[in-house]
Amino acid sequence: MNGRERILAHLAGAPVDRLPIMPITMQYAADQIGVKYIDYVTDHRVLVEAQLRTAEIFDIDYVSVISDPAREAADCGAKVEFFDDQPPAFIEDHALLAERTSLASLKIPDPLGGGRMLDRIQAAALFKEKVGKDKLIEGWIEGPCAEGSDLRGINTLMLDFFDDPVFIRDLFEFVIEMELRFARAQIDAGVDIIGIGDAAASLVGPQIYEEFVWPYEKRLIDGVKAMGAKVRLHICGNTRFALEGMGRLGCDIVDLDFPSPVHEGRAKMGPDQVLLGNLNPVTILMDGTVQDVLDKVAQCHNEAGPRFIVGAGCEVPRGTPPENLKAMLEYAKGVKG
Amino acid sequence: MTDLRQLFDAVVTGDHVTSKAVTAEALAAGVEPLALVNDYMIPAMDDVGGKFERNEYFVPELLLSARAMKAAMELIRPLLAARGTQPIGRVVMGTVKGDLHDIGKNLVCAMLEGGGFEVFDLGVNVAPEKFIAKVRETGARLVGMSALLTTTMPAMKLTIDAFAGEGLRDQVKFMVGGAPVTQRFADTIGADGYAENAPSAVVLAKRLIGVAA
Repeated sequence: MNGRERILAHLAGAPVDRLPIMPITMQYAADQIGVKYIDYVTDHRVLVEAQLRTAEIFDIDYVSVISDPAREAADCGAKVEFFDDQPPAFIEDHALLAERTSLASLKIPDPLGGGRMLDRIQAAALFKEKVGKDKLIEGWIEGPCAEGSDLRGINTLMLDFFDDPVFIRDLFEFVIEMELRFARAQIDAGVDIIGIGDAAASLVGPQIYEEFVWPYEKRLIDGVKAMGAKVRLHICGNTRFALEGMGRLGCDIVDLDFPSPVHEGRAKMGPDQVLLGNLNPVTILMDGTVQDVLDKVAQCHNEAGPRFIVGAGCEVPRGTPPENLKAMLEYAKGVKG
Repeated sequence: MTDLRQLFDAVVTGDHVTSKAVTAEALAAGVEPLALVNDYMIPAMDDVGGKFERNEYFVPELLLSARAMKAAMELIRPLLAARGTQPIGRVVMGTVKGDLHDIGKNLVCAMLEGGGFEVFDLGVNVAPEKFIAKVRETGARLVGMSALLTTTMPAMKLTIDAFAGEGLRDQVKFMVGGAPVTQRFADTIGADGYAENAPSAVVLAKRLIGVAA
């Protein structure tokens, strides 16, 4: 089986020759071909080359367009700070929606309009051309809480949940429509699965998650699935309060970051949900030994059961020893599904 | 007479309008500003920190309480300064150079202020020389550094080294935190302490400057 066949079969509940592995690599991938990260995030050809090389070295079953959370907001007109060799980031003091009233006049950018969203779509198309039959191709969009934070400023958004719930709903409506258009364009370009990153959702607690975040995540996921793509949900951080809800979203894959125990995910989401994770990227993958990685993957697999994909809780950190990343494959090879 | 328990409640529930109004009323009635801090606001933020650690509160609630506390502190701080009242400690805080993430650092700042510290928040992307200049200006004995990215964590060591280069290392204690930061990393770079979350940062800060928690 090749990586694409392996992941799709596993998601369908069919037998596989080994467990799929899907660790998120971004800066780590750039390092594999010796490029600065600014080139990775600004030139899809560099991103694709780095992803292909990384997938080849570590026999990773998929490739991804994920690079940073600032694609959509940049095309909306948000001020983004670029760094030479690390991910771009937002300056909250200059948030695009520093004034809530600005939302009314904010236009959804055309994903094909020549900005940072187009560069990602071009990456998807190039992946399709180069490895469309061999590797699962992952597109990427932001979830409502994450993109809302990017546009409004994360500190301010957290207060908005109490100060102006109507604004939150208006903002999330805007985000959902924009992200679905972005997903559509990536799917048209050839991606098999859409990853949805909603990092800020892990900060909000159970009440806000259920009332404000979950309904929009659900609409986003339903929308992407209606387009025919698979969905992977990735919420960085501690999601223990939200696991049950995450299990009701209908995702094909739910990632668990290291603060969210796999056995809790399994208990809250039932036996059928495919879980991915949750090696501690720093203490296990980067700072641990090969044996630490093997032991931890085995523990995660044991807690998750057969509906499991090997991966880290979040991005593989730059500086991770190659042998530690290879240990994921070593474990996966020993397991037929 | 103002019911000062309203101040405690307003901070705990994150009601910044009431916290400010009650504080203004109390100060006008002649209540000692330091009493408002020590008897109501510090206990309130302590309660908020406990709720956070027990997963009763999450980040939005913490930020609401911090705003309520700050609204009251804006009225109280000038009076404390005018009377020469000393805080339990001064701390210079910042997200290290190259890193623009600040929500964790902001929570720590709020909890430290709620714990009785005077906090000098330098914001994000703070170069070592800015930390040094602020420590020299304020006489702070404590520096708190935050990073969210593994790629910006090395800036913590560069900052500590810069203090050493200026002959200031022994005058300050360094505490570090942030999602990828660990106790092991803190030990490796020669920091004096690591805290996993905002409430535990207050306990650490007090320990580092020799104040009973």
